[in-house]
Amino acid sequence: MASWSYQKELFENEVVMTELNWIKNYLKNKGYSDAFEIKLLPEQEKWVLVPVAYVYGLIEEMVNKSPTWHLSTITGQDTGGFLEVLYHFWLGYGLTICTRLSYTEAMLPSISPIIAGASFYEREISELLGITFRNLQDNSLLFLPNGWNKGWPLRKKTGEPNDQT
Amino acid sequence: MTKLNIPIGPNHPLLKEPLSILLSVEGERILEGSLKLGYVHRGIEQLCQERTYTQAIHLIERVCGICSHVHSTNYCQTVEALLNLEIPPRAKYIRALLCELERVHSHLLWLGVLAKNIGLDTVFMYTWRDREIVLDLLEEISGGRVSHAVNVIGGIKIDLEQQLMDTIFRQLAILTPKLEVILSLFENDPSVRLRTQGVGILTKQEVLQQCVVGPVARASGVDFDMRRDIPRVPYNLIDLKIITHTDGDVWARSLVRIREALESLRLVKQILERIPDGNIAVRAKRRIPEGEAVSRLEAPRGELFYYIRSDGSDKPARLKIRTPTIPALSLLLDQLRGVNIADAPVILSGIDLCIACADR
Repeated sequence: MASWSYQKELFENEVVMTELNWIKNYLKNKGYSDAFEIKLLPEQEKWVLVPVAYVYGLIEEMVNKSPTWHLSTITGQDTGGFLEVLYHFWLGYGLTICTRLSYTEAMLPSISPIIAGASFYEREISELLGITFRNLQDNSLLFLPNGWNKGWPLRKKTGEPNDQT
Repeated sequence: MTKLNIPIGPNHPLLKEPLSILLSVEGERILEGSLKLGYVHRGIEQLCQERTYTQAIHLIERVCGICSHVHSTNYCQTVEALLNLEIPPRAKYIRALLCELERVHSHLLWLGVLAKNIGLDTVFMYTWRDREIVLDLLEEISGGRVSHAVNVIGGIKIDLEQQLMDTIFRQLAILTPKLEVILSLFENDPSVRLRTQGVGILTKQEVLQQCVVGPVARASGVDFDMRRDIPRVPYNLIDLKIITHTDGDVWARSLVRIREALESLRLVKQILERIPDGNIAVRAKRRIPEGEAVSRLEAPRGELFYYIRSDGSDKPARLKIRTPTIPALSLLLDQLRGVNIADAPVILSGIDLCIACADR
């Protein structure tokens, strides 16, 4: 049974929990049994931490279930200890699906087969942070000059060495 | 027939900003294209992470040369959310007033560019002449035509005197009928309709799949506007009408933008009528508590998105900006596929791209 780590006030907020129950149920049905985290960010934005293996399925489920989804953007960041990919959705309320990756396994499936508009964001993260998106059709550089070989500009010095060459 | 590759940009007379498009053409028909950005990439996200929250405001204003105020407003709003700081209502009204004037100026600028590209040079001159009225107002309010530098964390730097408000009312009365004439021209003129109807059609499904926002999405029947969807002061207190259309072509986009500009003038009037008295700013702490915040605001081109992560210091640990041009660009190549090459400039200008915004 999946256990949840809540912010206390969130646990008492029925509306928030109703909106996020589908995530809880999805992960439970997929047999995920470890603890995961939810937070309420300012401006009522919901934030959920989901393991890498469940991200693609969860987003697919969301697109099939909700008729009014919108992907605002995908943020990639190097927190110093690990890499983080944040999928910011708008479903009538803000929802951020967060997943964490280690420097050695910086790879996750592309969601562009489900949401075509995700490919630009994934290309940007891929070239600036060195995260590989599997099944991303166009891997060419979007912002960096062709032939760029000086590493990933948004990687911090800490963690794995910032050296792609 | 021979296949030809035509490179457009990064420096090209057709483009106002640097963007590289490689079109593969057979005869007059475009087969496919590829896109390259980054020619005006200034690394603003990274640069802001090396500056304090207050210093970053000036840099943020330079993301876009047209909608600079909405960028700094959204940035300040995100930092204020992290601080859990409630700014005075008067500051919110003044911020919204400038946002709406900026929308009118942005839409008129775009309308002039489109008119020029479809061969209506007279309309181009009229719209840019009328746009000066808005720019003069913005200059009188803030001291700057496009970079206003009025936002601070915790409120706003400038106040509106009664005399200035009267001037705005007077100028609105002059501008509104001028815009109505242009609207009726776009609605009825046969040559405008011939040149724009059925060109660059985007279906509702395509718009939703590519996550396109703003007037482009609303012209394809997607009723999505952050001014209404996130109820904030003053938009939740005034009568706001969202303009949509179902045709999804360049003509529909023109009508949506002109009607939106007229609606913005109506909103400016309402804001001025209801603006409350009081302070315009509150004091904000220099150090921002640890946390993350997301903020969405309706810029002239659509939903503008900011994400900030704070590590408890006086500098942001991560700042992410997603401007509305980025999703629109991802659709550009789909729109160009299969069309006549003469329609490419009309389609390009129909989207209202801002490459400086997209590159950051």
